[in-house]
Amino acid sequence: MNPALLLHFVRQDLVDRHAASALGALWTLLIPLANILIFTLVFSRLMGARLEMMGMQSLGTYSYSVYLVTGLLAWTCFANTVTRIGQVFHEKAGLIGKVKISLFALPLYVLISELIVYAISMSFFVGFLLLIDFQWSWHWLWLPVVLAVQQLLAYSLGLMVAVLSVFLRDIRELVTLAVQFWFWLTPIVYVMTILPESWIWLFKLNPLFHTTAALRQVMIVGTTPDWQALVAITLLGLGLLVASLFVGKKLERDIRDFL
Amino acid sequence: MIEANNLQKSFKLYHQPSDRLKEILLRRPFHNRHHALQDVSFRVENGETLGIIGRNGAGKSTLLKILNGVLLPDTGSLHSSGKVTGLLELGTGFDMSMNGEKNIYTNGLLIGMSREELDARHDDIIAFSELGKFINEPLRTYSSGMVMRLAFSIAIHANPDIFLVDEALSVGDGHFQQKCMRKIREFRANGGSIIFVSHDLNAVKMLCDRVIVLSDGKVAKDSDPETAANFYYQILGNEEVSEEDTVVERGYGNHHAEITSVTAMGETSQCEILASGDTLLLTISITAWEDIPDLTAGLTLRDRFGQDIFGTNTHFMEKPLSMSRGDEIVVRFHVPMMVAPGKYTVSIALHEGADHTRICYHWWDNAARFEVSGIRGTHFIGVCQLNPSVEFLAPPEVTNDTAQQS
Repeated sequence: MNPALLLHFVRQDLVDRHAASALGALWTLLIPLANILIFTLVFSRLMGARLEMMGMQSLGTYSYSVYLVTGLLAWTCFANTVTRIGQVFHEKAGLIGKVKISLFALPLYVLISELIVYAISMSFFVGFLLLIDFQWSWHWLWLPVVLAVQQLLAYSLGLMVAVLSVFLRDIRELVTLAVQFWFWLTPIVYVMTILPESWIWLFKLNPLFHTTAALRQVMIVGTTPDWQALVAITLLGLGLLVASLFVGKKLERDIRDFL
Repeated sequence: MIEANNLQKSFKLYHQPSDRLKEILLRRPFHNRHHALQDVSFRVENGETLGIIGRNGAGKSTLLKILNGVLLPDTGSLHSSGKVTGLLELGTGFDMSMNGEKNIYTNGLLIGMSREELDARHDDIIAFSELGKFINEPLRTYSSGMVMRLAFSIAIHANPDIFLVDEALSVGDGHFQQKCMRKIREFRANGGSIIFVSHDLNAVKMLCDRVIVLSDGKVAKDSDPETAANFYYQILGNEEVSEEDTVVERGYGNHHAEITSVTAMGETSQCEILASGDTLLLTISITAWEDIPDLTAGLTLRDRFGQDIFGTNTHFMEKPLSMSRGDEIVVRFHVPMMVAPGKYTVSIALHEGADHTRICYHWWDNAARFEVSGIRGTHFIGVCQLNPSVEFLAPPEVTNDTAQQS
């Protein structure tokens, strides 16, 4: 797909969508900002004690907030990418039926747009961290790597959902539900230590468990993430991507006929 | 250049999309097949214009969508020497809340123009659309004509190598249509290929070098425009008979003589659809139930508004007719159809003398119908062809006399 067109879609998604409202594109900034404020302020005094056991004692009042927001922002990015890419063919059916457009590159705009929202949120968050004198570290540079791994998985998964969703509309509701379950099966609002020891292995089957853990490692603890897990997830993401593209190509004719 | 080889497209009709998945999982079919295109091949050279005509459902739109890349053929291949754009995607992606300017970019990018091309042609597009300062207003404030004009301007400035033109061209006022036509001719003169899909046989004949007639998804004819158009009339005629069988009350009168059947067809086309300039053969079978010494058979042609276009009868034509009880005769009128394209009905009457006011034997309204489609020979506008001639004279010499007078 033409990069200019891709850029146009991203722009449309982030800016033009708010064209009719008075604040316009500012909404793209305001919503994440509000979210961060709510989570940091509301949860600043909750659950702090638990975290000290995990080597995150230096955070003080805001320890839980920092823990939560680190995981939550990445999760939101992941979940939005999957659900929105999953519906992208339906959403753009009007265009797909009119102009020649690659079915497999089209969802890239969702990926980029969600990444931009994440980046904006993250810069607010980093601003907040610096404000509370949080100890920054060079390990923060790992963040894009971890996120790339996570988003590769999101894109592949979303693409598979998108293909299937053309044939089975129920997929949308199914995915919404699955994402909710997934959210609670990933240590985002809670900490791993509340899990019974014997269950941990089960939770470790969840790729998001590892990406979330890796994010906290690099952001909060300031150590190198578990690269073995990241490599494994990358391979999983690539495998899924190949599978999605294969199924998608196989069904492309039908997809175009149905839309 | 664009070349299609043995294009084949069938739609699998599922009750619901999920049946497609069931099919994959259970490995048995859950669909009915509809063959939209079968073995369609053609080649359009640079600078050539190919017309595609055919009834609704003949596969024209499917073919356009395949050419345009929106649908994929089941089998067969498609080669083109460059960018294919069409009017199919007219106004695609227009956002009613954005202004014209922004929408030029939205639509332009979608139909495959680059940002640089758009920047370069931006002013031409606005000028061509004649929107003036409205270009900075949101699209929702536009009239539908203005939206169309903007859409056309963008499409026409897309500068593809192959241009797909369809019915959409016939929207907009005459002035703008002409501008579009001029632009399209210009495009062709510069070596672009055009594929023109239309019901408007006049436009097809004027624009195309070659015409394909699609019928039930197959190429039924691939020839020069004139031959193809006549062929098209024929298949139209054959298929339309069944629809026309209905209707018609059989009129009134004292039924001393009765019209038993009326058929209308073109002399050349041999069916109910004929070109303007063809001769209408109106064949009337009459049975007499009494002795009728002075019988007049007459006809009236009406247009779709019910206006009398033309009427005559054997009395006016001074062909006296008399019948005895039990006689059956066939009367055939030859009427040169020097009238405008459109749908017409024929009323037939049997009466005494010049008109039906004295004794009316049988009056049958809408006894037959026919359609004039397309114009053979010299083009004209209006309701009828007056067959004018024209000559060019030398300008009058200005003598001193007249000069002084003025």
